[in-house]
Amino acid sequence: MVYRWPEVAGGVNHRADAPVTNEPNRGTPSLSPVLLAGFALRPLPLVLLQPALDLAMTLMRRRHSDVFERLDTLENASFLIDPVDLPFCFTLRLGPPAPRLSVVGNADDMESPSAVLRGPLLVLIRLLEGRMDGDAAFFSRDLAVEGDMEAVLTLRNAVDSGGIDLAEDLLSLFGPLNGPARRAFGAAEALFARAERDLETVRAAFVAPVDGRCDAQTARLRDLEDDLADLRTGMPRANAAGKRAARPGTARP
Amino acid sequence: MSGTPLELVCPAGTPGALRAAVDAGADVVYLGFRDETNARNFPGLNFSRPELRDGLAYAHERGCRIYVAVNTFAAAGNPGPWHRAVDDAAELGADALILADIGLLDYARRRHPETRRHLSVQASASNPTAIAYYHEAFGVQRVVLPRVLTVTEIARLNVQIPVETEVFAFGGMCVMAEGRCTLSAYATGRSPNMNGVCSPASHVRYEQLGGRMVSRLGRFTINEFPDGEPAGYPTLCKGRFVAGGCAGYLFEEPTSLDASTVLPELMAAGVRALKIEGRQRGRAYIAEVVAAFRRAVDAAARGDPVPPLGLGGMTEGLRETTGAYTKTWR
Repeated sequence: MVYRWPEVAGGVNHRADAPVTNEPNRGTPSLSPVLLAGFALRPLPLVLLQPALDLAMTLMRRRHSDVFERLDTLENASFLIDPVDLPFCFTLRLGPPAPRLSVVGNADDMESPSAVLRGPLLVLIRLLEGRMDGDAAFFSRDLAVEGDMEAVLTLRNAVDSGGIDLAEDLLSLFGPLNGPARRAFGAAEALFARAERDLETVRAAFVAPVDGRCDAQTARLRDLEDDLADLRTGMPRANAAGKRAARPGTARP
Repeated sequence: MSGTPLELVCPAGTPGALRAAVDAGADVVYLGFRDETNARNFPGLNFSRPELRDGLAYAHERGCRIYVAVNTFAAAGNPGPWHRAVDDAAELGADALILADIGLLDYARRRHPETRRHLSVQASASNPTAIAYYHEAFGVQRVVLPRVLTVTEIARLNVQIPVETEVFAFGGMCVMAEGRCTLSAYATGRSPNMNGVCSPASHVRYEQLGGRMVSRLGRFTINEFPDGEPAGYPTLCKGRFVAGGCAGYLFEEPTSLDASTVLPELMAAGVRALKIEGRQRGRAYIAEVVAAFRRAVDAAARGDPVPPLGLGGMTEGLRETTGAYTKTWR
């Protein structure tokens, strides 16, 4: 009786042995340079990305062997990594002969992954580099996970410990040309940041009128909820007004 | 009021997190071995013996100490892993052992009398008689207090006991029955007290159903979060259940502890050390939370106001509380 999800929230009835599904449920991605780059990449055959991914994995294994040692217990695990702002997904298979990162056009192109990780590309990269905390990304709903949570935690803890820095790892490939490559990368990074700011301005301009209406609706809804609660409890109106004024506080202990 | 800074005791689940904690200003890093001898026995987490050796060197070179948690209760008939954990930590040079099991406390006192012994929160010792017993019987020099006491109660306790106290300052909350909680064991057969893991990942499932994320632990639905609502951990104590026809958090809301606003009061209450929870968290959490509390602890020691820490993004459910420290219920 107690452990039943309420009817008011949809009457969900889950089976404990529900299969892992990678059925896309990507939500609406934010307007970002990544999203636009994804549109630009859409006509390209995905197979062109594979050599770059193979190189990246070789580099990772060479520079971050400790990460792969921590992944030893997951020798047959596979992950679908779904950047919601790109028109394709990545698959990571840890099985022998060596871990392999691939690209697929759709989430359901991968059969029965052990787990699915889904979020904006930059969130996934920040997690990979340990610049974002996985639990915080989960709490804020920037990251969605499904499937085998032991595998997810092992992967998360392994990469978080590794000190991965994608830029430094890639720059290490340039040898004596490291200096010019680093400057080019810095310029690209600045360009990306500028594009991100500009697109945020565009987005804010588009949604400003809607935001205003939403704020008004939200305030109205809260008032109605308070009125309803007062009616249910029979609370005098004067007390109700005081309660409403005090409401936007911190959580109860 | 100024005074001696509170000792800042910070978590690490990986060598990367240890370095992040040390670099961010931790006085102490606490950690555990990669097995069931500590209360954060999560997949891919914790330290091998060589990693502890390297971590000790890194920390000691920078004036930071390492405490090793061996704070689960030894399995009946199989104390070997717990004894080895105590032996290895002491022999590698850990600055203190954090223990809960009285058999293990006795073993550590007899085999490694020179290594400090701290009483883990898992022992749930919160009154003068219990604490005095641990001190007299096992030479415990510090007790980590359960998150059940007000600041006033901590002050009263501190003048009655012969040992230092350490209190939680930030991070995940428990249902105030630490060391005695059987909710995880009830749902999954595995518990933090015996197996070092609360709500083990092997029993957790998340599903995206339309615009909702459903979290389940074993055969129990724990919660259902509509799109946009901040999420919490999938533990029974944080479940949203139906009672009397209404859905709500019966035990505890998804909320993190943040005691930064009561640091001066905790200092005045005679507390010696502050513990940040979160060995299961990533390097980014460690770096940000430790740096923020370093600023807060130093400000409190100078007698300055504690600055806002801005750690809301790191909290469970994106909310924080001062918990029992300022509780008004009884």
